[in-house]
Formats: sequence, C-alpha cells, structure tokens
Amino acid sequence: MTTALPIGPVAGPAQDGGPVVAAAAVAKQYGSGDGVVHALRGVDLTVRRGEFVAIMGPSGSGKSTLMHLLAGLDGPTSGSILLGGRQIAGLGDAQLTALRRDRIGFVFQAFNLVPTLDVLGNVLLPFELRGRGPSRDERAFIDRLLDELGLTDRLHHRPRELSGGQQQRVAIARALAGRPDLVVADEPTGNLDSRTGREVLRLLAGASSRHGRAVVMVTHDPVAASHADRVVLLADGRIVAEHGRMTAEAVATAMLGLEDGR
Amino acid sequence: MSAVATASRERRRRRSEDDGPGHASGIAVAALASAFGVALLQGTGLIAAAVGADPVTGSSGTVAVLLRLTGLVFVVIAVYASAVVTTNTFAVVVAGRVRMIALRRLLGATAAAERRAVAREGLLVGAVGAAIGLVAGTAAVAALFGAGRALGALDGTAWSPADPIALVPAVGVLLTTWLAARIGSRRVLAVTPMQALGGAEEASEEETRASRVRSMIALVLVVLGAGLLAVGIGIGSTDASGLLIAFAGGVVSFNGIVLGAHLVIPRTLRLVGRLTGSSPTARLAAENAVRHPVRSTRSTVGLLVSVTLVTTFGVAIRTFGDMITAASGADPLYYAGVDAALNLVTAVFSVLIGFSAVIAGAGLVHSLSLGVLQRTRELGLLRALGFTVQGLRRMVLAESGQLVMTAVVLGLLLGTVYGWAGAHAMLGASPGMPGLLFIGVPWVLVAVVVAGGLLLTAVASVAPSRRATRVSPVQALGAD
Repeated sequence: MTTALPIGPVAGPAQDGGPVVAAAAVAKQYGSGDGVVHALRGVDLTVRRGEFVAIMGPSGSGKSTLMHLLAGLDGPTSGSILLGGRQIAGLGDAQLTALRRDRIGFVFQAFNLVPTLDVLGNVLLPFELRGRGPSRDERAFIDRLLDELGLTDRLHHRPRELSGGQQQRVAIARALAGRPDLVVADEPTGNLDSRTGREVLRLLAGASSRHGRAVVMVTHDPVAASHADRVVLLADGRIVAEHGRMTAEAVATAMLGLEDGR
Repeated sequence: MSAVATASRERRRRRSEDDGPGHASGIAVAALASAFGVALLQGTGLIAAAVGADPVTGSSGTVAVLLRLTGLVFVVIAVYASAVVTTNTFAVVVAGRVRMIALRRLLGATAAAERRAVAREGLLVGAVGAAIGLVAGTAAVAALFGAGRALGALDGTAWSPADPIALVPAVGVLLTTWLAARIGSRRVLAVTPMQALGGAEEASEEETRASRVRSMIALVLVVLGAGLLAVGIGIGSTDASGLLIAFAGGVVSFNGIVLGAHLVIPRTLRLVGRLTGSSPTARLAAENAVRHPVRSTRSTVGLLVSVTLVTTFGVAIRTFGDMITAASGADPLYYAGVDAALNLVTAVFSVLIGFSAVIAGAGLVHSLSLGVLQRTRELGLLRALGFTVQGLRRMVLAESGQLVMTAVVLGLLLGTVYGWAGAHAMLGASPGMPGLLFIGVPWVLVAVVVAGGLLLTAVASVAPSRRATRVSPVQALGAD
C-alpha cells in the first residue's frame, strides 16, 4: 500500500506553520495535602501545523498527563493551553466534549474501535456525534482517505474481522476524517509488530507533512520517535530536552541518559 | 485522614467496581421471590382460617385446599421467573470475573473446582435470599393478622405463622437459585489460563451457539402447541372440553417460545431497535442490545413470561365477559354486575402474576449494569470522540427501553392470542355465542402494561446510567 495521504483543505484557524496548540507554564496536580502528586510542573510546548512531535519519557514522567491536557481530555491545575488560538484551560466538560469532537482526532494503542460498528460506521462516527452526516465534499475526502489507506474493500467488516494493522488504519482514518486541527496518538504502535508499526508511523508522518495536521504522539519506543520531526523528552513533570529529527539510536541514548540522571 | 488511607480506600472502591455487579441483585431476586411466595401461602392460610371460623362456609375444607392450590400456581410462576433471572445474574457475575478466574487457573486451579466455587456461592445467595423472604413474607401476613384482630374483623380466627407450607417457596427458591447458579456458571469451564496474560480486551461473553437440537425442540413444541390450540378451539365450538386441549396447547407452545427465545427475541430486538430512530445514540443502543443475544434474551424472557401471562388472563376474561354479555342480549344491569366481578378478578390476577415482572426488572438492571461495566473503554472512547454525558444517558435509556419494549410487545401479542383462544375454547359451544373473530381487549390493562414498561425502562436505567456517566474519556486511553 502507499503511504501517501490526500491533501484536504485547511481546517480551523491555524495558518501554514502557525501554532495549533500552545501550552504555557502548564502544571497538573493530583490529590492534595501529603498525598499530592505533581504530574506536570510547568511545561511549555508549542506544536505547529504540519509538525509531527513525539513526546517521550520514562514511566511517571508526565507524558500521558501532558497528552490528556493537550487533547482536552482533562484540565490543567494551572497554566494556559491555547488550541487554535482558543483558551481551553478551565473549560467545562460539555465545551471540552464539543472541542474534542470538532478539533481533535485520536489514535490509541488498543485501536479502540467500536466493536458493534463496521469500518465505515467507525470512520463516520465523529460526524454522527456532531449530529450531521459528512457534506458531499467531506464524503469525497473520506472516500479518498479510505482508498489511500487500503480500506475500500473492508468497509463493511467489523473490527474483529480485521488484523491489528488494519484496525489501526481504520483508527487513523477515523482520526483524520473530520480534518481536525490536532491528531493525538497514544503509543500507536504498542500493539503492532514492527513492520505494521512502521507502516502506521509513516501514515502519521504523512498526516502531518502531506496533510498539514499537527500530530502529537506519546511513545516509549525509540524507533517510533525516530519518525517524528521533533522529539520532546519529559522527566519528573518537566521538559528536559528537545531535539529535531533523531535516529532511533540517538533517542535510545538520550532516554538512557534520563534514566541514569534520576 | 492520611493520604495513604485515602489512597487505599480509593483503591478498594475501584476494585469493588471492577469486580462488577456482585451478588446483591442475586440475593434481591431470591428474597423477592421467596417473600412473595411465603406471603401468598401464609396469606391463603390466613384466609382459609378466617373462612373456617365462619359457621356457614367453614364446614368444608375444599375452600382451603383450592386457595392453597391457586396460591401455589402463582408461587411457581414467581420462582420460575426468579430462576431465569438468577441464571443470567450468575452468568454475568462470572463474565465480570474472567480475569480473576483465568489467573487462578494459571496458578493451578481446575476448571471444575472454580465452577463448584461459583455454585457454592449460588447456594449461599439462595439461602440468604430465601431466609430474608421467609421472615419478610411471614412478617407481612402476621402484621395483616394483627391489624385484622385489632379491627375486630378476625375474631375467632386461629392462625399461627408457624405453618410448614410456608417453607415450600423458601426451599424452592433455595434450590432453584443453586441450580441457576450451576447453569449460569457453565462458562467458567470456557475460561482458559491464557486469558490472564492477555491485554485488557472486553471480557467477551461466549455466546453459546444455540444448539440445533434446542431450536428443533422449540420449533416442534410451538408447532405442536399451535396445533393443539387450533384443535381445542375447534372442539370448543361444539363441546366445552376443548378448553383442556387448548390449555395444553397453550402451555406446550409457550414453553416452545421460551425455549426458542434466543431465535425470537434478538430478531424482535433488532426490529424494535430500528423503530427507535436513526440517531447515533439510538443506533449504538440498538447494536448494544443485540451484541450479546444470549444475555439480552435471558434478561427479557422473564419479563416476556409475566407480560404474556397477565395479558392472557386479561384478554381471556375480557373476551369471556363480552361473549356472555353478547349472548345474554346485553341486559345493561346484568352486564354491570359481570363487568365489576371480572374486573376485580383481572386486577387480582394481574397483580399476582405481575409480581414476577418486578423480579424480571431486577435482572434487567443487573444485565444493563454489566453491559456498561464491560464497555468502560468503549464508553470512554465515545466520550473522547465527543459523545456528551447526556448522550451516554440517552444511550443507556434507549437500550433499556428496547429490551423492555421487546418483551412488552411480544408478550401483548402472545397473550392476546392465548386469551382469545382460551375464551373461545371455553364458551364456543354455548348457545348464542358470537363468532370466532370476536375478541375483547382489556384496554385499561394494556395501558397499565405499557405504562409499567415505560416506568421499568426509566427505573432500570438509573443505576447503569450513573455508572456510564462516571466513565472519564481518559479511561479509553489507559491500557488498564
């Protein structure tokens, strides 16, 4: 299959290369008193249109928390998060829900397709949740997307009838179908063999470079991180290093350095 | 409170949620059935004692025996309903524990021992429920007796709560709960130690591929029963003995329908689901309702039994009354008398049979809760993708409504046919009766059944819906 993705029209206010999501001095605490856990202690991170950023760090470094906050799944204790120029820190659940629905695409480690819906039903689910089907233009885009992802002859299969790689491609189609500002991927290759995993990474890289989405990926796999334009290293709730494109070896070395420094 | 204590309490709370619905609903179902049975038999005992104390009617013991026998029929219906519900409850408890059982299997426990452990829990659940019911049912009748004496209505009536027959429903509930637990725990045998190693996939309930034999038997029973029903109506037009044949036909065909419910209910669910609309909420709910056909069937069949029986009696009595009225030339005075008596009989029978609907409702709550629990990740996913809390609530409500309405619609249809057949088989031979197309529909009863269904829909979705809306979108991402 090809890894090329169709180019869709620009969605949202983000201009070429403009910031899609900008976190400033973001902190997150869980619990209170003696039991307080500082998951994030002041993080600044900007992800631009067309950029593929990998967030890495040891367990407990706060990388999952950071991703939850960027994706509007949870609110920060303090600090500011601008998504498409709009402040999302402090929004209520209903507003965050609408924001996720309209602006953000998700790719998960465990694929997380709805088992009772077929491939097409899963891909169109975000549109259904908006309460309206895709427009003719959107539908044409989705058809091209499904074609490029090699899913056209599987449209009426249920997720359990698909391989892991196919399921993850469906999840990517679902994430990109609504042309979101931001695509968030949580260990997207964690449940895949290395060859299928590489394919998925190329698709995500294509979603940013060719398609213009901002992609944020949380991973602990150096090979996965080597596909990203930028690698952000987190430890103890802080960003400790930022690099441009890195080889897997360089990522692994940097990670080992973090472990030693602890 | 120290942070450690808070954390451990939090952990405990989570764990008890992860274990899924426990035995609370099993005990509730057993206690309801047992309390109902005990109260009914104690109550008929009290009535018999009161009647026996009356010098006019007291001479014959027939009244007491007849009352007890009638009471026993309703007890059997209630115990049957509770057994169906309990089987499902235990299947559900096992489904919630698959990981734990798999771990113990991995560490060396045999499948048979694991199953025995679940069956033992069934015995315990049955014993606790039966005992609660025995005490509650007896206490209710004793209170009634006390009140009657205080009002001077039961002077001269000797009644003691220590009536051995009250043990019958309690022991019946105990044994059927044990049996139901054994049947419900069958799928313990299908748990492999491998499942302890796997990821956090949804604990998929094995859908026992309904055996062909079972479907065949069900079909034969339905066809045979329908034949007998037709023969009964045919004979009924010349001879009243047709009723017996028609009754046998009704019993046989209805058992066929219950046995083959796995063929009928999922299809009806699909149909009802389609009628609920095409919004994503309704469609997801419809798909969920048929996701586990066996579970959905079990959770609706109890309700189907009670709606069918209530409707059968209602339609039979209404048709019976209308036929007599038509034959007697519609004397308004006569009609009023018959009408009042028949309405009273309908009301009493409906309440007695309708109690099994309460038991079935408890099972429905349990089954919906489990459905929500097993889909935690999926619900989190829907929230992450932009499903609102209200959307989730509507989805659970729609699912509940589809299950309830399936039972109500099927039950009303079946009951109407049975009631019509019964009345015609009984009265067809009498002079001046209207033709076979004549049917009396007790509209009030139908309205009550539908309203009851709506009420049950709402009540049954409260707990599962609360559980569903507690799911945070983050839960879709975590691997645990």
